[in-house]
Amino acid sequence: MKVTLSMRIPKNPPIPVEAEMIIPQSFYQGISIELYEGNKKRGLEEIFDVTIEGEADSPDEVEIVLCGDTGRLKRVGQKMGSGKITIFGDAGMHFGNFMSGGTITIHGNAGSWLGSGMTGGLITCHGDASHFCGAAYRIGCKGMEGGKIEVYRNSGDFTAGYLSGGTIHIHGRSGDLSGVGLRSGELLIDGDSERVCGGMTGGRCIVSGRVYDMLPTFEKKGTVRIGGKKFCRFEGDMANNGKGELVVSSFFNY
Amino acid sequence: MEILLDADRPLLFGWSNSFEEAQLLGVRIAGLIGGVIDNTASIYEGPAVPGFEELRHQGCTLEQVKEKSNVVVYWGCDPVMSHPRHMSRYTTYARYLFLDNSFRKRTVIVFDARKTSTSNLADEFVKIDPGCDYAVLSALRVIFLGKKDLLPAFISGVLREQLVHIAELIKNSRVCAFFIGQGLSETRGKFENIRNVVELARELNKHTETSIFPMWEHGNIYSAKKVLNQISGYPSSVDFARGVGYYNPGETTAVDVLARNECDACLIVGSDPGAILPRPCCQHLAQIPTIQIDPHINATTHLSKIQIPTAQSGIDAEGVYYRMDGTPVPIKKLYQSGYPSDAEVLKRIYIKIMDSKGVKP
Repeated sequence: MKVTLSMRIPKNPPIPVEAEMIIPQSFYQGISIELYEGNKKRGLEEIFDVTIEGEADSPDEVEIVLCGDTGRLKRVGQKMGSGKITIFGDAGMHFGNFMSGGTITIHGNAGSWLGSGMTGGLITCHGDASHFCGAAYRIGCKGMEGGKIEVYRNSGDFTAGYLSGGTIHIHGRSGDLSGVGLRSGELLIDGDSERVCGGMTGGRCIVSGRVYDMLPTFEKKGTVRIGGKKFCRFEGDMANNGKGELVVSSFFNY
Repeated sequence: MEILLDADRPLLFGWSNSFEEAQLLGVRIAGLIGGVIDNTASIYEGPAVPGFEELRHQGCTLEQVKEKSNVVVYWGCDPVMSHPRHMSRYTTYARYLFLDNSFRKRTVIVFDARKTSTSNLADEFVKIDPGCDYAVLSALRVIFLGKKDLLPAFISGVLREQLVHIAELIKNSRVCAFFIGQGLSETRGKFENIRNVVELARELNKHTETSIFPMWEHGNIYSAKKVLNQISGYPSSVDFARGVGYYNPGETTAVDVLARNECDACLIVGSDPGAILPRPCCQHLAQIPTIQIDPHINATTHLSKIQIPTAQSGIDAEGVYYRMDGTPVPIKKLYQSGYPSDAEVLKRIYIKIMDSKGVKP
């Protein structure tokens, strides 16, 4: 089953649309989908032009394609367990949060809290990801717990904050305090970053670029070679009695 | 009332110069119309407001600081300029019941990125590189854990020996009070700086009594935080769009809602966002129907479609203000004017909204 949702031009200013019901499971079960535009409840057809092609025997066979002004959409793919979502445009906040399986592909930029609290599945973002990518919510203390997030460009501040499992791979630069409070899992940053892994207690972070304002609370533990390149290896964060592993290509202002 | 009822995403903002009754009505109105309610603390002391609620830091009153503390730390704040009577009433120049000659024996430590009026009065001044508070806080925690030798000689512009000396001063104090300002909460790292300072206090509490106070800058902001917390469970930035309160700083804070042009109506009570918010937020306020309930003509008045003049708290309206440590202070009025208080105006709006929604009081 292929579901194509094209966003209509809004009458209002860009009021966000809370669309946590847009997951493959909802279309497979054929339940009525309700969305919130601000404080008003709307039907799916009020916001999208909907086209459904074919049928599916399981949620795995459902593919949702979103296009138009999708940057207003929030929470698409929340708690999704299987299937596929493709966004030809920008993604709003909270895409794929708490998802446990399936695939989300974003061809534009992603908003904040991409994949927060996810336990499984794969999110691929071909543009930039905003702040708190895969990080914990402020009232929670656990970030992403499983699965994989791959961002092909840059990510914002607090990327992978309180990461508790899974892998986050940033192909470009990552913002300030990436990997803050890292507990478990792996954070890979191909570009530069700042003050990585403050307060980490476990897990692993590899920065292939340069780390600016490297925190002084990491203990040097020699060098390692990854792919023929020499990296400095640190252990910390000592302030938290942490045993996390931080591997950096070069660092500045230690 | 019609503006608020017709709006898809109304914002109710301000509340820092209102009494508790008006703040309570504001939260109820936000709940009824499904709006976002936020107070000015999210701008000034943004990360510090929810920080203490989330991290469960137990503070104490300023009287306890005055009577017991022999070490006072000011981090990223300049009370000589921002809170002129603070030091004479509660810390540096206050009489100290349990120590003779308190003025000379109380140690004042200032951490800041630049020299300030307060740092000139301090016994110890630590000049940190701008935006590097997180590293210094972490380094202090490492020193308290007994691993000072693993630290580099210089930490963000501070000599390791100076930090070790300060750590000894704090560790050997009877009671230590930390006062933190925007220099810590609004600099790089934001909420993580607050988390780090609370973790530092937890570590310190193994050696001495430690309390942290944010240096609130608006009159009754503590009350706005308290009222919202009692009703919704969250201290600021609560979105009632879906009936129940939802809190996510960065998404539901007034600055973010306005900067993303999300809201389509705004009610401003007892504050002047036109003077403090970034330019894009003010531009959006000017484009949407904005209602201001305030005793003054200020920068926000020119952005508003409707301005309702009210009585000034403490001048011609009376009620309860909360001090920055949470102590209630009754405020009397000086004279009776013809203006209603903001609580009276809000009560009329609230009753009309209840009638139109068919809600019984």
